[in-house]
Amino acid sequence: MTVRRLFVALISISFLSGIVSPGLADAQTPSTDEEASSRPKLGAEEPLAPPPPDPLEWFNQPVFEFNLKLDEYALRPIATGYDAVMPNAAQRGVQRFFKNLGVVERFANNLFQGKLPQAGKEVGRFVVNTTIGGVGFFDVADEWLGWKESSEDFGQTLAVYGVPSGPYLMLPFYGPSNIRDTVGFVADGAMNPMTYFLSTLQLIAVRGGTTMGSAINYRSLNLELFEDVNRYTVDLYGAVQDGYQQKREKQIAE
Amino acid sequence: MRSRTAVFLNIAGSVIMSMTVNAWATADSPIETIRMTIQQARAVLEDPNYQGQDHKQQRLAKVKEIVLPQFDSQEVAKRTLSTHWNGLTDQQQQEFVQLFIALVKKTYSHNLDRYNNGVQFFFDHERIEDQFSEVDTRVLDPVQNRTFSIGYRLHNVNGKWLVYDVVIENVSMVQNYRNQFNRILTKSSYEELIKALQNKIHELDTASVSDSKG
Repeated sequence: MTVRRLFVALISISFLSGIVSPGLADAQTPSTDEEASSRPKLGAEEPLAPPPPDPLEWFNQPVFEFNLKLDEYALRPIATGYDAVMPNAAQRGVQRFFKNLGVVERFANNLFQGKLPQAGKEVGRFVVNTTIGGVGFFDVADEWLGWKESSEDFGQTLAVYGVPSGPYLMLPFYGPSNIRDTVGFVADGAMNPMTYFLSTLQLIAVRGGTTMGSAINYRSLNLELFEDVNRYTVDLYGAVQDGYQQKREKQIAE
Repeated sequence: MRSRTAVFLNIAGSVIMSMTVNAWATADSPIETIRMTIQQARAVLEDPNYQGQDHKQQRLAKVKEIVLPQFDSQEVAKRTLSTHWNGLTDQQQQEFVQLFIALVKKTYSHNLDRYNNGVQFFFDHERIEDQFSEVDTRVLDPVQNRTFSIGYRLHNVNGKWLVYDVVIENVSMVQNYRNQFNRILTKSSYEELIKALQNKIHELDTASVSDSKG
């Protein structure tokens, strides 16, 4: 009888361990994914970690209000009208056209960050999209050849070389940034090939024009998104600030 | 006879135990939890019986019934308050969790209302580290011909994977709310935060009333 009881006990133990262990193993086996090592440890977003400080808030807050007014009275009405007359596909085309113009910045910054294949691809993309892709309205390089855009700017290059981001900075017209990205933004502007052909005033006019065009187009593609952000947030300034910082961190990590 | 009964009880006991343990041990993996939840919610949203403005409330209630149990509301709310959480009384913590969840429910109802049947979901990848996990998904919106990345962060609570954060296009919602709430709490007070939440909920209520009228 004791043997039988022991037998039953053994069966129940093996039964238990057999069922329990796959579950436990499942929960404890670390992911074998290559990305895993580069990504932050899960759950390590400390549940009670304080958010980053904002020493330039005295400047940022009024500029943010200015940008909101600018959006409310100029950008959004224009973008809404533009959205009504432009088909969605055309808006995407315009966005690709403006992106195609940023090739020099992307090429140089990929190079600076030692991303040689991506730098080469950027040149290839520009050639293919400017010719077959109808001056950049179509991204055939991505669709046909699988050459993805690798969006690198000088702000990211500085980050790769260990330059700290500095405080959060709200720029008039351009929106959220930080000290490092503002320096990067100016440097990228200087890399623009148009600097060789145009006087400073002309350059400001042309850059301003393309920036406006691209801003209106971008805004028209995101009418609902902007409304949603407004809807979800309790404090819009804080939401935009954090959204920018999170997106930027991810871009730099990529 | 006594020993036979003992054997019987032993077997019965182990069977019952293995059944309960079984239910616990084979709990769905994080990616399956997310996949099943979305499939069930989709089934409701695409159900012919629940279509149209007339069935809107029913439809939303049904989806909430499916989705909400998958969230660890308390944990989400707690994480958005960061270091301020510990300074609150039990009563304040409860009050905050209740208001915060009410706000989240309202914002998501609005999103669900815009759901269209052509949306495609891709469940790409899951990553498990001890008691935490992250599931990467993508949503393809055919209207905008655009793909959004949506990540779910889950933790293991007594064998069940519960969501405590959603990361939309690389922006963690918990972290984003945390920054907003921290600004209000450091500048003014807990009372002001509660007021801001109540105002927002009221604003959304009046907006949805005017929506359904129009």
